[in-house]
Amino acid sequence: MSEQNDNLEGLMRQSLAGDQRAYAALLTETARLLKPFLSRRLRFSNEVDDLLQEILLSIHKARHTYDGKRPYKPWVYAIAKFRLLDHLRAHYADHLRHAGDYDELEEILPDDVTETALSYESISAEVEKLPAKQATILRLMHQDGYTAKEVAAKIGMNESAVKVAAHRAYKILRERLER
Amino acid sequence: MNDIEQLVATLSSDMQPVKSAPHPYKLSLQWIGAAALYLLVTLALTGLRPDWRESFVEPWFIAEIATLFALFIVTALSAALLAFPDLHQKRLLAFAPVVPAVLFVAAIFFAWHSDNPPAPLPEHSIECTCSILLTMLLPALWTFYSLRRYASTHYRLAGSIALLSAFSVGALWLRLHEVNDSIAHVVEWHYLPMLGVGLIGLWLGRVLLKW
Repeated sequence: MSEQNDNLEGLMRQSLAGDQRAYAALLTETARLLKPFLSRRLRFSNEVDDLLQEILLSIHKARHTYDGKRPYKPWVYAIAKFRLLDHLRAHYADHLRHAGDYDELEEILPDDVTETALSYESISAEVEKLPAKQATILRLMHQDGYTAKEVAAKIGMNESAVKVAAHRAYKILRERLER
Repeated sequence: MNDIEQLVATLSSDMQPVKSAPHPYKLSLQWIGAAALYLLVTLALTGLRPDWRESFVEPWFIAEIATLFALFIVTALSAALLAFPDLHQKRLLAFAPVVPAVLFVAAIFFAWHSDNPPAPLPEHSIECTCSILLTMLLPALWTFYSLRRYASTHYRLAGSIALLSAFSVGALWLRLHEVNDSIAHVVEWHYLPMLGVGLIGLWLGRVLLKW
């Protein structure tokens, strides 16, 4: 364990001196170190990968605040925790902001949705019949648990366009399910 | 090649020799030195209170100035530690301003008790707060500018502590410049605004120090 720590500190010292290979090794080792830490705290593997990339970028940005004389791990975990909290704060704030979207979905479905012929499968089948982009957005938001903002980043649209597309999809679904 | 590998390759190809940030002790010494020099110059320009010889034999006045000075030093040190993601692994020291703050409040409390009969209130009021705020501007600007070059993971606290440090400079200047023995006035218009400044610092930290 101590040898591994010495290695990390040594690698960082070499990196700060401009050794690109040492830096690549350090970042790879850091990613390996942080992945289980993030996986235990986040639900989706794509979230873990996205956040891991953000943390590596932050390490790169803050590299001048490490002098190679103190343990490396507390420094890197401080940055990782900071980014994780930031991510969770943004994630839950986004969920709260868009709580209305989910209410809207509940409103459009008939009250006795679970007692009638409407089942998860039938709704899923209707979702599949939607235009490809709308179906993808609904799948990402309601099956995979992404926020509108995350969906926007994932499929290269802006956030409001995602919300508009989702809204239109809800409307179409309502019409079809009420028939 | 997956995304992480690609990012590692990009970042490592961007790596050049890096000059490490100065040790937080050195950084805080720079801030303290500059702020002390600024305080001396301001006092030289505006003048020391004419009754300073008499004031500096009053034990509670000495205690007030000493604890305020300690607050200025320790907040500068704490702000420097808070500029580093891991607080330079000196967590206890980063939260040390609590100690001079408690001593300062105690000194004010005893000064208030010993102010019997109470000294007459001066005619002015909010002018004192405004003067302190104006005086603290320069040290605050410099500290924030310096803090932005680092990577604080406690940016709200760093902003608040940095602003309190700058406020202490302004408060020290006014206590050493103004002839005023009313502790009620000093508490109301010199020191209570410190709480508001601390809160503004939390907000400024979030706005200016987030990275």
